[in-house]
Amino acid sequence: MNLIEMNSICKRYHNIGFETQVLEDVTLHIKEGDYVSIIGPSGAGKSTLMAIMGCLAQPTSGEYILDGEEVGKLNDRKLSRARNEKIGFVFQAFHLLPGVTALENVILPLVYAKRSPGNAKDKARELLARVGLEHRLHHTPGQLSGGEQQRVTIARSLINDPRIILADEPTGNLDSKNGIETMKTFDNLVKEGKTIVLITHDKEVAQHAGRIISILDGQIASDRRVNHAENTEVRST
Amino acid sequence: MFSSFGIAFRALYAHKTRTFLASLGILIGIASVIVMVAIGKGSQKEVMDIIAGMGENLITVNAGEMKRRGGRLRLTGNVTTLTVRDANRIMDEITDVEAVAPYEEKRMVAKFGNNSAETTVAGSSSDFPVVRGYRIESGEYFSEKDSKTANRVAIIGTTAVKNIFGEEDPLGQVIKVHFIPFKIIGVFEPKGVDTNGLDQDDLILIPISTYMRRIVNQKHITRIFIRASSRENIGKASEAISELLRESHKLTHDRNDDFTLISQLDMEELKKETTEMFTKLIVGVAGISLLVGGIGVLAVMLISVKERTREIGVRRAVGATRRDIIRQFLYESLIIGFLGGGLGIVLGVGLTLGLTHWGDWTLILDQNSIWIASWACAGLGVLFGVFPAIKASKLDPMEALTTE
Repeated sequence: MNLIEMNSICKRYHNIGFETQVLEDVTLHIKEGDYVSIIGPSGAGKSTLMAIMGCLAQPTSGEYILDGEEVGKLNDRKLSRARNEKIGFVFQAFHLLPGVTALENVILPLVYAKRSPGNAKDKARELLARVGLEHRLHHTPGQLSGGEQQRVTIARSLINDPRIILADEPTGNLDSKNGIETMKTFDNLVKEGKTIVLITHDKEVAQHAGRIISILDGQIASDRRVNHAENTEVRST
Repeated sequence: MFSSFGIAFRALYAHKTRTFLASLGILIGIASVIVMVAIGKGSQKEVMDIIAGMGENLITVNAGEMKRRGGRLRLTGNVTTLTVRDANRIMDEITDVEAVAPYEEKRMVAKFGNNSAETTVAGSSSDFPVVRGYRIESGEYFSEKDSKTANRVAIIGTTAVKNIFGEEDPLGQVIKVHFIPFKIIGVFEPKGVDTNGLDQDDLILIPISTYMRRIVNQKHITRIFIRASSRENIGKASEAISELLRESHKLTHDRNDDFTLISQLDMEELKKETTEMFTKLIVGVAGISLLVGGIGVLAVMLISVKERTREIGVRRAVGATRRDIIRQFLYESLIIGFLGGGLGIVLGVGLTLGLTHWGDWTLILDQNSIWIASWACAGLGVLFGVFPAIKASKLDPMEALTTE
């Protein structure tokens, strides 16, 4: 069963006087448990695709079915709930709330959850420990390094146990060591059965996925499956 | 701490100065409403006290028609139909009347030795102190016999004492008015000013018979003061008096009254009107200052929304609905409203009590105004917070996240 099903998605932005076509007739199906990289040069429409996938923006035309529900027909409350329950976001710019501790940042999605578990704090602590931040629970983003902030973001994306993790350039603001750490975390999440969609312009990062979709000028240019043998081969050449 | 209220509280706490400035307008508005209403109530009470002090259940009959001129009631024309006989008939024939004092006055120079001063010389009957609420401080009031025989005795008010006698004791002294000697037999207790601000203690009172015969030599008088038996009977007594005077003055149906009746109730009504107008005016001014305060809240909330666009994006991304965002910002403006309102009430009540305690002001704290003020600031918080909150909720999540 397809967890993400996009059919003929178009997205146009209206600016004063002219119109920009960002996505043109994108059809894309992603199965549960898939590990997908979306690559392409900047301005190709990767982020817009992710915004639509994450229910943060609506397509101009086309149909998007998320987990069997047609997103275009959802009202604000149901859309918000879909974001809250089905999707975990990891942003390049982290997007943590400033002045709020790591622990509280991780709990944030549960604040808006329909059923907030009583052990929210324990759960958040557990997740922060998992990303190696058990000693940084009460630090605010300003007191954390970039790598640490990214790990808080990952913990936040997992708190409500979503089925999909959408990561937009998760290594973009990190040094190589932290980048490798982050990618390891994603690799482990896939093993646990999460569906991961990774947006990047870094070919090496993209290689972690089992499927690489490349976007060019708002259209899918290629969509190929990779296995590890191939992976190594690409690297060596 | 993560409920909408907690989020709002935190956001405000992080910007203490701005929060305070935002609530300052409401603070000043609320405080001024409370103080101004207290001033209005206080001055109303002051005026009512003066009216009550003019004599309990008082009805005044003035000769001729009275008209308002320059905010004061003044007699017009020279009417000679009102007499002491009318006063006596009112006393004898109308059951709801307790006491009657015919009255005539004139500004004249009174002399004592080498001192002289202008004062109001008035004539009235032995009921005058009862009707007009004057009390004797020392000496005694003149008797029925003094009235009958038109004796040259006088009771003097404290202002007149000061002007004519200075520090000397006036009792038993003889003053000259119009070259006629009068013996001072009593001094009135001070009474203060009347509703028109005239000094009621600048007075020398003599028996009306003496006044008519020796001072003016006329038969008519300009005024009769009447005390009704009770507040409830003022209306009934007034009607009876009016009827009696029309009959006495032989006025046929087609002719207007040649006298004017003003009761204590009429005076209160008249003054109430002016003080109520004053109250409306100050409430209006205070309302404008509250509006300005509200606009301050609006401005700060709009800045707050703009500044936190990214935060709104993050919250939306992790599952906040539009309603969650609206609630968060509404709580924020509501807290600003209540903060301003609370401090405003403290300041307003403090000023009111302070001015009453240490200042020479009569202020009456109106509990209603405090209630209304509380509701007003809650209302202002919501009213001026709705627009920014809705604006925040309508932000596109993706655009909000990518805002620099």
